[in-house]
Amino acid sequence: MQTVKMVISGAVNAGKTEFIKAISEIEVVSTERRATDDTKMIKKETTVAMDFGRIAIADDLVLHLFGTPGQKRFDFMWEILSEGMLGLVILVDSTRPETFRETNRIIDFFVSYRDTAYVIAANKQDRPNAWSPDELRLALRQPPHIKVLPCVASDRESVKNILLELLYVIQEKSED
Amino acid sequence: MALVGNIRDFGLSDFLYLVDRGYKTGGLYLTHEQETALLFFEKGKLVLASRRPEDQEAELLVRLGLMNQAQLDTARQALSITSNGATITQVIIDQQIVERDKLQNGLMAHTEESVYGLFGWPEGEFRFEQNQRAPAESPTMPTPVSVENLIMEGVRRIDEWGRIKDRIASTDMIVKFVDQPGEKAKGVKLAPEEWRIFARINGKDSLAEIAQKTGLGDFDVCRIVYGFLTAGLVDVMKKPRPVAGTRGAQVAEPPRVKKSLVNRIINRIRGM
Repeated sequence: MQTVKMVISGAVNAGKTEFIKAISEIEVVSTERRATDDTKMIKKETTVAMDFGRIAIADDLVLHLFGTPGQKRFDFMWEILSEGMLGLVILVDSTRPETFRETNRIIDFFVSYRDTAYVIAANKQDRPNAWSPDELRLALRQPPHIKVLPCVASDRESVKNILLELLYVIQEKSED
Repeated sequence: MALVGNIRDFGLSDFLYLVDRGYKTGGLYLTHEQETALLFFEKGKLVLASRRPEDQEAELLVRLGLMNQAQLDTARQALSITSNGATITQVIIDQQIVERDKLQNGLMAHTEESVYGLFGWPEGEFRFEQNQRAPAESPTMPTPVSVENLIMEGVRRIDEWGRIKDRIASTDMIVKFVDQPGEKAKGVKLAPEEWRIFARINGKDSLAEIAQKTGLGDFDVCRIVYGFLTAGLVDVMKKPRPVAGTRGAQVAEPPRVKKSLVNRIINRIRGM
């Protein structure tokens, strides 16, 4: 059985858990605990370890989805999660510009040293005052070739679209 | 749809960059404690900035000594009978009430000072109303001005590391010119210290090395480069990590995957 891995990252409350729940075939393994720091102000329960989802591709192939911990104190997990990953989805809460700096830090961590295939999912596009993908591209200083895509993480079709767009990026980088 | 936020989290320089690069038209409303400000942009360029409601009225032209009250009354009269969507600025120029250059220079000086003061706000709510235009009677500049110089001036006023470190994580980072600064570079006015650093950028030296060569402190170098970065003139990048077993430094390559494997995953996701 071959397994491949995709990583779903983003700042606290960007929608990582919801994203994986929307597409995973198994109940998402989420080690959520009561938040004990300032993330309490944002949501009652927040990810303190990681989320794990799974999609069976075939009898001999499985796709694993890992959500990274949002808080800075779990940065050390990122390095471990990024080893051997096929690609990366960066989720952004489009309604909270105060998280854009942190998002930039996450992008920088994952892509500055390696040629990582990644897309940016502009989540919560169904909310009022959501910044559009074009505006997020400018706010996050992303070059034109990086896909910044509209997303509603609670919507399975929207999540599917994000994963497919990421897979097309990976496809271009893959070998025959 | 409005863009809302706080300049504590998304700085004014960053917002000006977004407006510039997005060629945005609209009104930016800022509030900080009891103060307010309003900036209007046309296709990414600034046409009006005011810190007081009365500065959004045409009487500002009289207060700035650009015309007298009788001339303003004449302009208003002419504006009231135009039906082509003209602004009072266009009427003043078309009717040769005031020379275009005089109007531009007077309003630009006022506008720049209005904006520079905003960079001193440590925080403040902003709301950008897209596609909103200044009222026809407002004293807009005849020629919209690029925001690069405003960004540079704003960055000159930064006196703490926090904001700089968002973009420049360490002095080990390398600075290089962007591939096509184009028109951007032409309009930027640099101070002597900024020129010293600008001349040292070669795509190889780190910020620490530039600081050493120019004799400037790390903070000053980073602050100035942050300005270049925000104005879109340069990029900064980390030094590539050396890869074990190779000569020289290069970027670590991720594992190669077979196209057939990716296609299988694509087909599966499509079918879900």
